[in-house]
Amino acid sequence: MGEMEELRKEMENLKDQITAARKTFQDSTLQEAAAGVTVVGRVQLKTRKTLRGHLAKIYAMHWGTDSTLCVSASQDGKLIVWDTITTNKVNAIPLKSSWVMTCAYAPSGNLVACGGLDNMCSIYNLKGKDGNVKVMRELAAHTGYLSCCRFLSDTEIITSSGDCTCVLWDIETGTQKTVFAGHQGDAMSLGVSPDFKYFISGACDFTAKLWDIREAECRQTFGGHESDINAIGFFPNGNAVITGSDDATCKLYDLRADQELLTYQDSSIMCGVTSLAPSKSGRLLLAGHDDFNVNIWDMLKAERVGVLAGHDNRVSCIGVSSDGMACCTGSWDSFLKIWN
Amino acid sequence: MMSGQEEEELPVNHTGPKGVINDWRRFKLDSLDPTVPQSKRELLRQMSSPREDDKERLNRKMSAQEYEMIQEEDEGSLKRYRTQSMQEMHERLSFGPAFEEVKELESGDAFLEVIEKEHQMTLVIVHIYQHGVKGCEQLNSCLDCLALEYPSIRFCRMDAVATGAVERFTPEVLPALLVYKAGESLAHFLAVTKHFNEDFFATDVEGFLNEYGLLPKKEFTAWADDEDEGGNVE
Repeated sequence: MGEMEELRKEMENLKDQITAARKTFQDSTLQEAAAGVTVVGRVQLKTRKTLRGHLAKIYAMHWGTDSTLCVSASQDGKLIVWDTITTNKVNAIPLKSSWVMTCAYAPSGNLVACGGLDNMCSIYNLKGKDGNVKVMRELAAHTGYLSCCRFLSDTEIITSSGDCTCVLWDIETGTQKTVFAGHQGDAMSLGVSPDFKYFISGACDFTAKLWDIREAECRQTFGGHESDINAIGFFPNGNAVITGSDDATCKLYDLRADQELLTYQDSSIMCGVTSLAPSKSGRLLLAGHDDFNVNIWDMLKAERVGVLAGHDNRVSCIGVSSDGMACCTGSWDSFLKIWN
Repeated sequence: MMSGQEEEELPVNHTGPKGVINDWRRFKLDSLDPTVPQSKRELLRQMSSPREDDKERLNRKMSAQEYEMIQEEDEGSLKRYRTQSMQEMHERLSFGPAFEEVKELESGDAFLEVIEKEHQMTLVIVHIYQHGVKGCEQLNSCLDCLALEYPSIRFCRMDAVATGAVERFTPEVLPALLVYKAGESLAHFLAVTKHFNEDFFATDVEGFLNEYGLLPKKEFTAWADDEDEGGNVE
């Protein structure tokens, strides 16, 4: 017993040393640095398009890199690829399981992927020769639900799972290239860095981790949240990480300073954050809450500057297009809307 | 968080992966043979709840037994579940007082009272007007119509001069529409008529508010199950 106690003390000691070391780098706060910046003013977004076709709650959506097409996954057991300009359905893909948690669009536009309670990541080829969309691969090895997936290319995809791990897959062979283990709770969300060298994961152990994809290592771990991290994303310049948690706050962590810069919170917000998307400039943060509300934050000043779809709490997921021109929301009533 | 209509003891998520888990659990519970009573339901509930002394389990959202229960489901039950879920959500959000007409707010205090005291789910839309300012009379008529069509919304109007609001709302920014819910400002539209033509009607105001996601659906229509939604549409 004595040894355990010793080790525990050593661990606490090391944690304190890390915190102290981080503090010595903190020469200012983000609020001080941003004090001179002009206020954003109230943000009010308008619906430009409504995408109709699903028959049940939208669980997830992801924009294609062309900022025109997007894919959505619904409780109705379908993946739909939409042209957001014409509102036409480009593809409607029936899934084996209705319990889909995530979907992703490959940067090339050739593939989409999804997964959920089936513990698998299914890859679909949108550009098959005969025009039909078929399952190209079923990546099976996780022992827990598939919470999130993101393509690196047409040959590699990263997944996060309720089995606490993240995995880099080789799509051609359907095998695991790297298993990223370390989280002590279900991994809920992941984001890939703009240069595709790193990815971040948020988990039910209240931490976010930065992983080096090629070196297969966890480079940094960020704590501070008081509950599960449900949503995570890179700040647009790739130098910071944004997290959303069941503790009803979002946090901004700087990678180079290795510490938290800001917490986005308000005493009137008591509901957990389950999705998030920064604007292209990074000035605004859209945070989707579990009560189907979306709050819009000024990221520099940590002030709320608006809400999205104010009356009807309906939003179940959000995503901002890569050209920053539009935001897409999925609702519990089966519709998707495009806003700007 | 949803208003106190949750039957479950533990807080549950409705969105994201945990939302899917929760929906699946509810589906499983609902599809249990109702003649098999409490014991089986209790078992399912126990499997979902971590024991207090099991700290490691707290970080895991699904139990091993639950993973084993995942299987191919009957499409009929799934369809029924989906429609029922959406219907319930719609009813939850429609719950609240109903109003029939636009209320005249006589003072600044009355304004604060309506904003702070109305039911959490009730949308409050306040029209600040001034006699003689262009568009105000027209907007008032439009809101009288909308008040009948959207009984869940508390429409109000305030004479800027009579209530003293004119100090902050000068004629150039009138008519103004302020939208509140649960004490919070959702939207501010100053000189709102600049968004409309010279002649505008209730439908124009309705369309405008809809664009900002500020109006509820008038009624819930259950979907006819549309199987030919499947397949590729190029």
